[in-house]
Amino acid sequence: MSPIRIALNAGLLLVVFVIQETLVSRVHLPITGFSFYLAVLLLMVLLENRTGAVILGFVGGMILDLSPASESPFGQWALILTAIAYLIAVNAESIDQIVSRPVGLGLFVALGTSLSLLAYLLVDGLLGQATGTFGRDCLVIGGNFFWTMLLAPFFMPALLVIRDATIGSRERI
Amino acid sequence: MARGGGNRSRLLLVILLVTSLFLITLDLRGSGVIKGSRSVTQTFLAPIQKGVADVFAPVGRFFSDVKNFPNAKNEIAALQSENARLKSQTLVNKDIQGQLKQLKGVLDLSGRGGYKVVSARVIGHGSATTFTQTITIDAGSSDGITVDKTVVSEHGLVGVVKSVQSHSSIILLMSDPSFKVGVRIARSQSIGVLSGTGGSNFTLQLLDPAGDIQKGDVLFTNGSDSNRPFIPGVPVGQVSAVDHTTATLTQTATVKSYSDLGNIGVVSIVITAPTTAPRTMIVPTPQPTVIVYVTPTPTPFSSGTPSGSPSPTPSPSKKATK
Repeated sequence: MSPIRIALNAGLLLVVFVIQETLVSRVHLPITGFSFYLAVLLLMVLLENRTGAVILGFVGGMILDLSPASESPFGQWALILTAIAYLIAVNAESIDQIVSRPVGLGLFVALGTSLSLLAYLLVDGLLGQATGTFGRDCLVIGGNFFWTMLLAPFFMPALLVIRDATIGSRERI
Repeated sequence: MARGGGNRSRLLLVILLVTSLFLITLDLRGSGVIKGSRSVTQTFLAPIQKGVADVFAPVGRFFSDVKNFPNAKNEIAALQSENARLKSQTLVNKDIQGQLKQLKGVLDLSGRGGYKVVSARVIGHGSATTFTQTITIDAGSSDGITVDKTVVSEHGLVGVVKSVQSHSSIILLMSDPSFKVGVRIARSQSIGVLSGTGGSNFTLQLLDPAGDIQKGDVLFTNGSDSNRPFIPGVPVGQVSAVDHTTATLTQTATVKSYSDLGNIGVVSIVITAPTTAPRTMIVPTPQPTVIVYVTPTPTPFSSGTPSGSPSPTPSPSKKATK
């Protein structure tokens, strides 16, 4: 992954991050919020090769760690998303079969988002951070899964078009 | 979606994971650089959030209204019955108000609201990517706001100022799991610690195992040392259920907040705390009570005074101070 490509990916993620922090978080959806940023990041990770996926996971995590609302230590999201990006990259062939259909792609992004949030909670617990009640946490993760599954088909095609227009697929072998 | 780079990617993974752990360690050790990066992000995001708040506020309200639509009918019926009850109560209150006016002169309760506040508009809510419950407001250090200040709404406590920039601040809501505040039960004066649970309910843990707590008890903040982060006397919420489990050493209860934290539009930040603590003012200071003894004017006798009986000489009125 070339530095230019990393910069372009980071730029795109920064834009999504600003949208998440300023617009998406303002919308009070029933049950709980919706993590637009995580969904986009996981989709972008899926389109990269193994090295690119790991770098993108780390860069995306670092951007998410910048969230002023976060109470967790800086680097926590970078740690989680690097590991998850690697897991996605390693199991790419199996995942490719699932995501070949639009429903499968939506399901993958929703499951990935939920898994990321669950990992975040686990690391939070390990680091001694307050994590809230079990019921509430389940509701947040479940709600996030529901909304990602529901909304992913609407934004994913647009995102793929934007990504191809800006970053392209030059390094995809 | 082609893949490649086995050993290289593994090495990269290890390097990046170690870097992440290094950053976590730095942050937990209180590195200023790490904290500064979030402040910079807040400074950058605040103007955008403000603009988005102006443009997209109705969208947020629309979803909120749709969410509350099924409850609206029940709410109207409940409000109508409450309105009727309040109307009848108003008549009774007129008499009580007269008495209250006199009592207010004796019981100095002015300390309850003796603080200065700065009001601000909510321009952002905590991200869904974190489990943190926060809001962003459009006032900052240029308005006199500093960290660890009490934040209140029209109904009571909302949270505490977590971080401050020149024109924006982040408020940690009382519903956040890491939020804790010392509270006092108005009826029994028992004290305890109220914790956020991430939802609309809160957990109260009494410090005294034999403390008196009942459903419906009203809670006020107990206040902190030097009034930071909490000033005393701010309404917090009402006890909705008491946990009578004997297995625990301390008594716990579930509390419902007075403030609707999900629908806050405007908040106030307490800049100057009251000069006198309201918790001490709740108990009235003994005031000198003037008691006037009046001796009745003696009735003049037509005949002479009977022998042996005391002389009915009028004595001056006596004043005794209790």
